[in-house]
Amino acid sequence: MHAAWLVFRKEWTDALRDRRTLLMVLLSSVAIGPLLLVALSALVADVEAQADEREVWAVGIEQAPTLRNYIERQAWTVKPAPADHEAALRKRSFGHPVLRVPPGFERDLADGVAPTLTLVSASANPRARGSAGAVARLLQGFGQEQASLRLVLRGVSPALLQVVQIDELDLADPQVRAAQFTRMLPFFVLMAVLYGALHAALDTTAGERERGSLEPLLMTPVPRWAIVLGKWGAVASVGMAVAVLSCFSFLPGQWLLRSETLAAMFQFGWREAALFLALLLPLAAMLSALMMAVAIRCKSFKEAQANNTVVVLAVSLVPMLTLFNQSGEQPWHLWLPALAQITLMQRVLEGEALGAADLLLPLAVAALISAGCIAYVARQLRAAALR
Amino acid sequence: MIEVSALHKAFTQGRGRARRVVTAVDGVSWCAADACITGLLGPNGAGKTTTLRLVAGLLTPDTGQIRVDGIDVVREPQRAQARLGVLSDARGLYPRLTARENIVYYGRLQGLAADAAARRADALAAMLGMAALLDRRTEGFSQGERMKTALARALVHDPSHIILDEPTNGLDVLATRSLRETLRRLRDEQGKCIVFSSHIMQEVERLCDQVVVVAGGRTVAEGTVAELLARTGQTDFEASFVQLAFAGPVAGQAR
Repeated sequence: MHAAWLVFRKEWTDALRDRRTLLMVLLSSVAIGPLLLVALSALVADVEAQADEREVWAVGIEQAPTLRNYIERQAWTVKPAPADHEAALRKRSFGHPVLRVPPGFERDLADGVAPTLTLVSASANPRARGSAGAVARLLQGFGQEQASLRLVLRGVSPALLQVVQIDELDLADPQVRAAQFTRMLPFFVLMAVLYGALHAALDTTAGERERGSLEPLLMTPVPRWAIVLGKWGAVASVGMAVAVLSCFSFLPGQWLLRSETLAAMFQFGWREAALFLALLLPLAAMLSALMMAVAIRCKSFKEAQANNTVVVLAVSLVPMLTLFNQSGEQPWHLWLPALAQITLMQRVLEGEALGAADLLLPLAVAALISAGCIAYVARQLRAAALR
Repeated sequence: MIEVSALHKAFTQGRGRARRVVTAVDGVSWCAADACITGLLGPNGAGKTTTLRLVAGLLTPDTGQIRVDGIDVVREPQRAQARLGVLSDARGLYPRLTARENIVYYGRLQGLAADAAARRADALAAMLGMAALLDRRTEGFSQGERMKTALARALVHDPSHIILDEPTNGLDVLATRSLRETLRRLRDEQGKCIVFSSHIMQEVERLCDQVVVVAGGRTVAEGTVAELLARTGQTDFEASFVQLAFAGPVAGQAR
């Protein structure tokens, strides 16, 4: 065990001396939290701002004083739309739906002839599309008011026309809604851990082979399992350090939130950070062992890098399973490393409680795979040194 | 004292139909005495490196015996390894560590305490004339500087037996000369048992007390340079070697 500790200390010093790689890893892992949050909050703030602005951009509104009166009573403002709005909407340089009022609107309305209002938007223009619904609802409100007035004039109760009433009840609480925006956060944290450990995993295995320092190392009277254990410990610690840094970078990152709603909904405190770490640390250990097992068969750092692309790809594709699979969370999701962690981290963000079993199952899977990979590396070590 | 007797080692190459067995060492036997420099001389592919790897406990022989001071390398590899200092073909150093850290790391792995390993590093640096290099990172070391660091690393635990696999590969005249000096001093002052492999005649001629000529995985001749010259009736050691190494198998077939 003492020998494993010596190997660990040497590999750890070695990894810390690789300043340039370390700097890149740290920058990407520490900066990722705040950066993502800023980008997200800008997006959410933009959406919120548009939802809040109660504006109707219209052409020919001067021919419809009744409609204008209604719109202004609903505390909306009417703005004149540019003449070339069609082209602008197509080019997406103009982000509002445009209401077109036909000539003779007021007269038709008084005569009881239903005049046609046109709401111009483009489905390829998401910003215009987003507020088109609100404007359409506003116009429907106007139609309903007019109809009610006419019925009342004729002594008929407007309730006769309303056979059913619809009440909308949104079951998603604010945290779940925020989680839609913060869904990708766990994924980025996971990738930061993976890339953080990658370089160290390759350097201690394939790199050691390429340098020709593995053969002398095996000629010392240190058992092979101690060498591998020390190396794995160092690689896993690098991955874990990245996990700790990227998780805690979300804490100060929250101050940068521009959107107040998101700030209120994205609750990432010490408890969430601790739960994230409980999930990520075993995964960091497992991924380190896995990447070392892949790399030990490779003669050079480059070859190992190419081979480990498979691991990186698998870890980045596994979370996609939840995208393709619309049937929701399945019990087996917790058996699959990476997917289990992502699923559970999303649950943490949604404010759901995690049971002990939820944490223990992925931990057990990670421990099993790590042990298998370490045994494999120890077995391959001698053959690797000589080839 | 290193005793090697009737050593066999074969490797399997490829898989399935392309599979074939290559015999690298086919009955090599020799003995290296203490306070003596023994040269393992042979053409490329003669099985020198494999033999030395077997002695170092890095490979397990198919049959045959290796004893280091009477310790069976196959049965107790770690005890034997503690008595061996091996400068193998692969002389990789850790580029981000200083020469001192490289040497001390191996000292610690060999079981030395931190201060003992540090003292050994200083002593070896003084002996090898590399004291000025000690606190530089090994990144960017020249071939000679690398070889000195690797040699110091192999000797850090003060082994009684030293094995060097083609130590002069890639070294210039001055570095070769200084290595020769060092090996002589290790033999004369400390009575080490030194085995080194080479395919360079002059080196073996100048340095070795005893020569083992290996060809085709077998020992074809053993003795001092003078004895080998007398045996072949040559005055030139190179001619003597060619006669021994390349005529050996033919003579064996004729028998």
